[in-house]
Amino acid sequence: MSKYLKHLGMALMAVVSVALMAHEASAESTLEKILNAKKIRIAIDVANPPFGILDKSGQPDGSDVAVARQMAKDLGAEIEFVQVPSTGRIPALLAGRADVTIASISVTTDRAKAVMYCNPNGALSITIFAPQSVKIKAPADLVGKRVGITRATLEEATVPKMAPEGTKIVWFDDLASTVQALLSGQVDAAAMTAFAEKTVSDANPAKQLENKLLVTTAFYGPIVRPGDFELRQWINTWIFINSRNGTLATIYKKYTGVDLPPLPTI
Amino acid sequence: MHYAFHFNVVWDHWRDLAEGAWLTIQLSALAMTIGLVVATVCAYARTAGPTPLRRVVTAYVELIRNTPFLVQIFIIYFSLPALGISVEANEAAVAAMVVNFGAYGTEILRAGIESIAHGQIDAAMALGLSRLQTFRHVVLFPALKTVFPALASQFILLMLASSVVSAISAVELTAATNSLVSTTFRPFEFYFVATGLYLAMALGFRALLGGVYWVVFMRRQGI
Repeated sequence: MSKYLKHLGMALMAVVSVALMAHEASAESTLEKILNAKKIRIAIDVANPPFGILDKSGQPDGSDVAVARQMAKDLGAEIEFVQVPSTGRIPALLAGRADVTIASISVTTDRAKAVMYCNPNGALSITIFAPQSVKIKAPADLVGKRVGITRATLEEATVPKMAPEGTKIVWFDDLASTVQALLSGQVDAAAMTAFAEKTVSDANPAKQLENKLLVTTAFYGPIVRPGDFELRQWINTWIFINSRNGTLATIYKKYTGVDLPPLPTI
Repeated sequence: MHYAFHFNVVWDHWRDLAEGAWLTIQLSALAMTIGLVVATVCAYARTAGPTPLRRVVTAYVELIRNTPFLVQIFIIYFSLPALGISVEANEAAVAAMVVNFGAYGTEILRAGIESIAHGQIDAAMALGLSRLQTFRHVVLFPALKTVFPALASQFILLMLASSVVSAISAVELTAATNSLVSTTFRPFEFYFVATGLYLAMALGFRALLGGVYWVVFMRRQGI
């Protein structure tokens, strides 16, 4: 019996010490955790050219992915990509599935209520495009037209505000579906980044797609969980260094084909 | 993980959620009603029809039961316009759900029909009932009674699977939830509430179908 009690006591101590260790671990900041584990989990969206795509061998690629890889390298950490749809970019971060999201998330005041932005590392424009035969010259021409947009994107935050009453806005869960809806004629026009528009137009010359309206131009940057100030500070320092040494500009130019505009800070 | 729950945000948007849930109910109920007719016709064709027709029905059932529902939806929504047929998202959603439920329903009903003893059909014929009368009174009705619980389960599955029609822009409960999550950034609150609504709808439909079973089959038996 005493032997049994001894075993029970040892088991209890083991449980308590594991629990204590777990508690100590939770006191670490996210940056410390990354540095100690030498591993960083970065959420990316690989269905959003040219920022995130899958290359021919199925590996993540794109400007966001290149930025993420360089950042992890300078952090001395192994990278674990957490692939999310555009709707999952903020939820994955808040649920603790990723330490940081680098997925061309344009800066909006609404999003900043939920997550903390690092300094911008790129810029993008949202445009509305459609086949040549569709007459859209001014926002007023959108009345009665079906305009496809993707959920949880900058176009979702801006197009409904600029479109006049009577515009039929159609929401899709990912960019691929929005593009497919435009190509199959389920929508008359679609809104997305100017880069995605170019990719789609170049790949489908027979559709004679053309740019119709500029909706907005915005800056985007990495996001971290509220309270992760140490990690945000490290990322901001990284962005400062790499915008001065030209790394960010090189990556941006390589994937988008245009020059990176001067980056403001938050 | 630090996350403070704010369920009052959900309350502010209850109308959007209610509209989404209502569309889920409408799409599911409509798809089940039409799908049951499709399933009955196909089950009859598969058990009593001529051989070529049987093969066509078998091909349809196997094609649908062995391909993903999401792919079926995409094919209906994105390919029909290419053939010159214009479909709205909700119409495409109902069409895909009917096609899907029809195939599963056919198999379930076929099992019920094959459980009817052949002697009963011979007896009905001997009494002078026509083929269709025999099918209706001697085969279909008892078969439906036997497989009703399986059909009810399949219907609940169909209702839950309707969440994927958000992919083609039908604004049912999941689409409404996704939109609210992406504008309010409160994923946990909205997904919890959506889960609760789906659970309530599933239990509600189960109770309703249980009531239908009692009225149609049990009460009649008592008379």
